[in-house]
Amino acid sequence: MSEFQVLSEAVIKGDVNTALAETRKALDAGSNAQEILDNGLITAMNEVGDKFSKGLLFVPQMLRSAKVMQECTKTLQPFFQEGDVTSKGKVLIGTVKGDLHDIGKNLVSMMLEGAGFTIVDLGVDVHPDKFAEKTGEVKPDIVAMSALLSTTMPSMPQTIEALQKAKLRDSVKIMIGGAPVTEKYAREIKADAYGSDAGTAVNKAKSLLGID
Amino acid sequence: MKQMEVPTFKPRLKVLNREQALAIHGAALEILQKTGFKMEHGGALEMLADAGCRVSDKDRVSMPAKLVEEALTSAPKQFALYDQKGNEVIMLADGNYYYGTGSDATFTIDLDTGERRRAVLKDVGNFARLVDGLENINFAMSMSNPEDVPVADIYLHAFAEMVKNTSKPILFIADSGRDIAKIYQIACLVAGGEKELQQKPFILNYSEAISPLRFPENVMEKLIFCAQKKIPICLPSGSNAGGGAPVTLGGAMALGIAENLVGLVVHQLAGKGSPFLFGPNVSTLDMKSSVVSYGCPEWSLTQAALADMRDELYGLPIWAYAGATDAKVMDAQAGAEAMFSIITAMLSRANIIHDVGFLEYGNTSSLEMVTMANELIAMSRFFTEGITVNEDTLALEVTERVAGGGPGSIFLMDDHTFEHFMQAQFLPKLIDRSRYDTWEGAGATDLYQRCNAEARRMLSEHQVEPKSSEVLEGIARILTPH
Repeated sequence: MSEFQVLSEAVIKGDVNTALAETRKALDAGSNAQEILDNGLITAMNEVGDKFSKGLLFVPQMLRSAKVMQECTKTLQPFFQEGDVTSKGKVLIGTVKGDLHDIGKNLVSMMLEGAGFTIVDLGVDVHPDKFAEKTGEVKPDIVAMSALLSTTMPSMPQTIEALQKAKLRDSVKIMIGGAPVTEKYAREIKADAYGSDAGTAVNKAKSLLGID
Repeated sequence: MKQMEVPTFKPRLKVLNREQALAIHGAALEILQKTGFKMEHGGALEMLADAGCRVSDKDRVSMPAKLVEEALTSAPKQFALYDQKGNEVIMLADGNYYYGTGSDATFTIDLDTGERRRAVLKDVGNFARLVDGLENINFAMSMSNPEDVPVADIYLHAFAEMVKNTSKPILFIADSGRDIAKIYQIACLVAGGEKELQQKPFILNYSEAISPLRFPENVMEKLIFCAQKKIPICLPSGSNAGGGAPVTLGGAMALGIAENLVGLVVHQLAGKGSPFLFGPNVSTLDMKSSVVSYGCPEWSLTQAALADMRDELYGLPIWAYAGATDAKVMDAQAGAEAMFSIITAMLSRANIIHDVGFLEYGNTSSLEMVTMANELIAMSRFFTEGITVNEDTLALEVTERVAGGGPGSIFLMDDHTFEHFMQAQFLPKLIDRSRYDTWEGAGATDLYQRCNAEARRMLSEHQVEPKSSEVLEGIARILTPH
């Protein structure tokens, strides 16, 4: 781990120039991309996530770290080899039908991405059939739904129903969140998890997929 | 001493000078011209294009400053809200201020158990009834999205429940053009007809655009409906600093005002001269929890700034918030945050001040919190009235009488005290100033407990003037699904 100490610190600090330079330096020195990703970048983001959940970091600081990590991952991209595990899992995410709010959904997306997940973002006002169609297409591990309004919450069970009809419900885990959503509601509509905020959403996503 | 008549100065808060106000307004106009906005309602888009806006990429609109100026000229500078009996109780003009509750909370604190639970329709009724009985709360909002009615009609049911439980003006939420039409039907029943409602509106709609710069179809439906029916409306957006808008308050205000101006322009195009309440919601997105804060100093500061912009530029009555908190229970934080926003909103003369009684950044409503706020508003009002200085209040003769009088002369015994103390002093009802032993003997209660008891008393004793059976039957018909 110590060989990527400077890289990790740069990610934690959100210093993109140093982080990119360190990533290149590590590649030049012969480290493989998977190692740099796991021991430099993801290690750093785990620490960032940990500090954030303890209230030691603010949201923009955490997002800056996520952005730095993504930049570094782009640099690593051409060097990944077959068999490398570059993603913790794929999350299909969207704001449900009838709802056009996306700040919360975008925040969750960025934090999941920062934690190493691959995100397929369907945007806002996503019809249940669209969720189902895209689930069949991109084969995500998790389908994540957001709603800000009480009146649009019913689109969540409708989406789950659409996934059932398409016989895709059992192939994915379902996560929901948003201001009016509760743990109880998640149970009622038989979602697999409820994230009360973006940080919790990341932890729930990890535990749904059995990642510590 | 011969006393000249001295006008009473009423303390007032100013946070922006004219140059700052003009600069923020200029930035808002620049946003509308250069960045433009997304208008998703076909009819509104057409009206804007016809009026001289440039439309590109289907629904991207750029608005010239001239349209804004025209709308600011045609919108009424003052308008009144009436109670449900037809009395003018809210005159939205100049620096008149009015407080009321908020809407859309998911949870409420149960009055009996103290537990946070999902809100139900009965809670909407309880809040409206409490508002009806509290002298310093001037209008009712639902305070809850009830769990026990069909979700497509929650706003309709909430409105009907409020009508049954208060005679005060109602600020209401609707989902779209569909339910607002039914809510309007109920309002017409109460007012005695469409014309009567238009002459003496007791309702005001609250709708929201989406920051940054997005105007959804259902929101515009409500705006146009209100403009055409002359129902007062306000259309803030969630331009909270760091969330829907730039993190810096100047930029967040400029964006929020730009969004409001779009609403105003569409509104005036759809119904020239219809009443519009101006004002964005510029709070902050908390940088740790990412909640939109209901207790932060920033929101109070931006609405004080908006009051200055009203005075310098717009002349339209404004929308504001106060009496809420981010605390999860009604604790010291709740008291501090509630008082901070209540007194600053009053000192800056915001006009319609809503959200009184919210805990947990607007996610939970509390009857005790509304009850406490009622008293905090009274305290603030006393302060804001200033000090009357005249012969009677200077009371030189009284001082002469007591100080120069015989032994045993005390002010407390003087007739002047007896005649003036009720006006000269703020007389608290729930704030406790009793001596320690008295307080202990009376159960050693804290303010939360006293507010709980007072809310219970009010709900069991306060009589709301019942609606006629004709109105109630009409409501039942409107609520019956077809």
